[in-house]
Amino acid sequence: MGNHWIVTGNFTESGAVAWRRADGTWSQRFVESGLLPDEQAAKRIADTANATEQREISDPYVIEVRADGSTLDPLSARERIRANGPTIPMRRPDSGLGRGKRG
Amino acid sequence: MYQYDDFDRRMITDRARQFRGQVERRLSGEITEDEFKHLRLKNGLYKQLHAYMMRVAVPYGLLSSTQVRKLAHIARVYDKGYAHLTTRQNVQYNWPRLVDVPNILDELASVEMHAVQTSGNCVRNISSDHFAGVAVDEIEDPRPYCEILRQWSTFHPEFSNLPRKFKIAVTGTPGDDRTAVRFHDIGLRIVANAQGEHGFEVIVGGGMGRTPVIGSVVRPFLPKRHLLSYCESILRVYNLYGRRDNKHKARIKILLVSLGVDEFRRRVEEDWEATRTPELELPDAEIARVSAFFAPPPYEKLPTSSDRLTALALGRDRELGNWVKNNVVRHKVPGYSAVVVSVKVPGIPPGDVSDTQLDAIADLADKYSFGHVCVTHTQNLVLADVKTSDLPQLHADLVALDLGKSNIGKLTDVITCPGLDYCDLANARSIPLSLEIAERFDRIDYLNDLGEVSIKISGCINACGHHHVGNIGILGIDKRGEEFYQLMLGGSPGNDASIGKILGAALPQNEIVDAVEKVLDRYLVVRESPEEKFLETVRRVGFEPFKQAVYGAAGTADAGGE
Amino acid sequence: MQIIRNRAITDDDFVHVPDGTELPAAGKPIVTLARYTAAREELLARYPALGVRITPDKLPTDVPERSRLALIAIEFPRWTEGRGFSIARQLRQREGFTGELRAVGWVLRDQLRYLERCGFNAFELQPGKPLASALEAFGELPHTYQTAVDEPLPIYRRR
Repeated sequence: MGNHWIVTGNFTESGAVAWRRADGTWSQRFVESGLLPDEQAAKRIADTANATEQREISDPYVIEVRADGSTLDPLSARERIRANGPTIPMRRPDSGLGRGKRG
Repeated sequence: MYQYDDFDRRMITDRARQFRGQVERRLSGEITEDEFKHLRLKNGLYKQLHAYMMRVAVPYGLLSSTQVRKLAHIARVYDKGYAHLTTRQNVQYNWPRLVDVPNILDELASVEMHAVQTSGNCVRNISSDHFAGVAVDEIEDPRPYCEILRQWSTFHPEFSNLPRKFKIAVTGTPGDDRTAVRFHDIGLRIVANAQGEHGFEVIVGGGMGRTPVIGSVVRPFLPKRHLLSYCESILRVYNLYGRRDNKHKARIKILLVSLGVDEFRRRVEEDWEATRTPELELPDAEIARVSAFFAPPPYEKLPTSSDRLTALALGRDRELGNWVKNNVVRHKVPGYSAVVVSVKVPGIPPGDVSDTQLDAIADLADKYSFGHVCVTHTQNLVLADVKTSDLPQLHADLVALDLGKSNIGKLTDVITCPGLDYCDLANARSIPLSLEIAERFDRIDYLNDLGEVSIKISGCINACGHHHVGNIGILGIDKRGEEFYQLMLGGSPGNDASIGKILGAALPQNEIVDAVEKVLDRYLVVRESPEEKFLETVRRVGFEPFKQAVYGAAGTADAGGE
Repeated sequence: MQIIRNRAITDDDFVHVPDGTELPAAGKPIVTLARYTAAREELLARYPALGVRITPDKLPTDVPERSRLALIAIEFPRWTEGRGFSIARQLRQREGFTGELRAVGWVLRDQLRYLERCGFNAFELQPGKPLASALEAFGELPHTYQTAVDEPLPIYRRR
């Protein structure tokens, strides 16, 4: 329970959202985020990542979340959308030909 | 349309090669994100909430069917199967991978396309009238000048790091501007002088954003040959004196307001007198050369079709009739019509088009419109040269593609930015509102009864949705981390330019579309007649009736203060 | 220190002399505009090759007797700074300045070609940036549409 901090960024190669796991590796899945109890410590980690992990990660920063058992809830609308994806349909559900590689 | 020669082709292949090198240096870690950022911004590549976003340049909105097929292919192979039409006539992809971008640029280059200067503090896409070349009220086609300005501004070394972005628009219909020239950094209206010669009325310092301003006339008549040298001097004065201390006060509109138009003009003319050379003058031969690319296509000699159009509009096929009435525009050549294809359908974010739709549109362009289509700044598409006799078949073809909505210029022809669902700059989501509006008001009789009314939605103060010039404008704001919306009325982008005014306190997301409905209901009650348009009613009766409708007699919001 | 001058890597024969530090006995100093305006005649008499460094809020007309200078250095405090391009172009084209025009500060490899087109012929890159690969930048976009210091004819007079 209570508020925690998460370090996040974007994968340089793909642009996908990146979440830092507790073991220092990066995940595309929000639920795998490592929770940090201290904002300053989280910011230091983000700064270190910015200095040393440029190849993998771009623009790391920290966000605050409410952790309640198994659910993680970012505190702002922006971060909620970033964690969960666009809230609207992303592509036309038409029956046409051709699905993209990542469609 | 303009055809590249070897020189043009070399320019964009050199640029694609250069950017490939820059991407490689980023991926290898040789340069950091901080250093790479300005490089990718020079090439239209943003980093948004979920992914990179790539903005492809579509000069003055014009596309050939070959180019449309390539855009479909890129959507299919490198993205999630769709592309987005923007309010500056460009096309955006929301999900490209950085590692793929060099290949995307090579593919674009193969069809004479690129992403040069679609972002960053430089001269952006030159926009124009989506009916250029066919409009009945056009005194001269603006597109040759757009192309000339495009070439002049591309890789312009002196203006590569302006205080902020710079947007130019050109219109050839001075009587009815459809390009919002008075809301651009430089707006050029082709006008005729007393001798009947054509030149440019030069308007500077219009813009939206945090401080919307209607531009000022700096030069009422500029002879064509001085187009480039004069624009150079405007850009130079802006480059030297524009504010660089505050990103929100850095556009040329701020400089014009602070200097006053007379002092601004004095500095421009001083530089112009000192720097213009005979070589910089635009020769008639070059204007003629570029104009030749926009020569009329091989129209058939047909009788006038206005009676036919009326018959179709009033005919027994009501679906076709509504479409002809709302989406078809008079063409200057007898027997032809211009068609606006609406991509605005319920359930789909405004401006989004799928890869299969794009491929089909390319085929329609070949079949009906000499292989061309134009992106509008209202996020739709125009097939400009359709035989009136082909309209029923074209309509049927469009309906089969779910592109047959008869809502052009009507309420559900919503203009919106991507908003917080996608955009790193946004404060609130905009697309959900547009979807709710499209869903709730999807009744053709109601839309026809309401008549001409524009809703424009922006997810933040940057105003990419042009909310300031919507008859109904909605601006998303952040209030304590939650999404709220300001409602404004009375905006208009054309010759009767006006900036919308806020009606009252900001509203939460679950109340804003109700508020829009209340405004519309009130319009239906207070309008003088069905012929009085929404904007006219607002201007006649003022804000009070609408304020009361939304906020009640006390004039306060239902929820929350300002 | 090494710089790029006329598209070659070379040792810098000038030396920056910040305000408050002693001027060298001989050689080629680059002084600030403040120092130059305070002691112009003295400096010009003492040093046959004198350089002045200006911040981007200045214009050529703020530098008295600029035609007597061997070098003018224009600062780029941030990568977004763009005034130097216009200042350099004015110096070359309106003023006819023939001395060395040097870009200093946040000078990025990918701007070198644009800077050169505006009249700069010398560049100090940031510490640690590889100069040899920076030279390649000059050849990356060799073709030009518009006029600049390096090209008096726009493309439509060259096609």
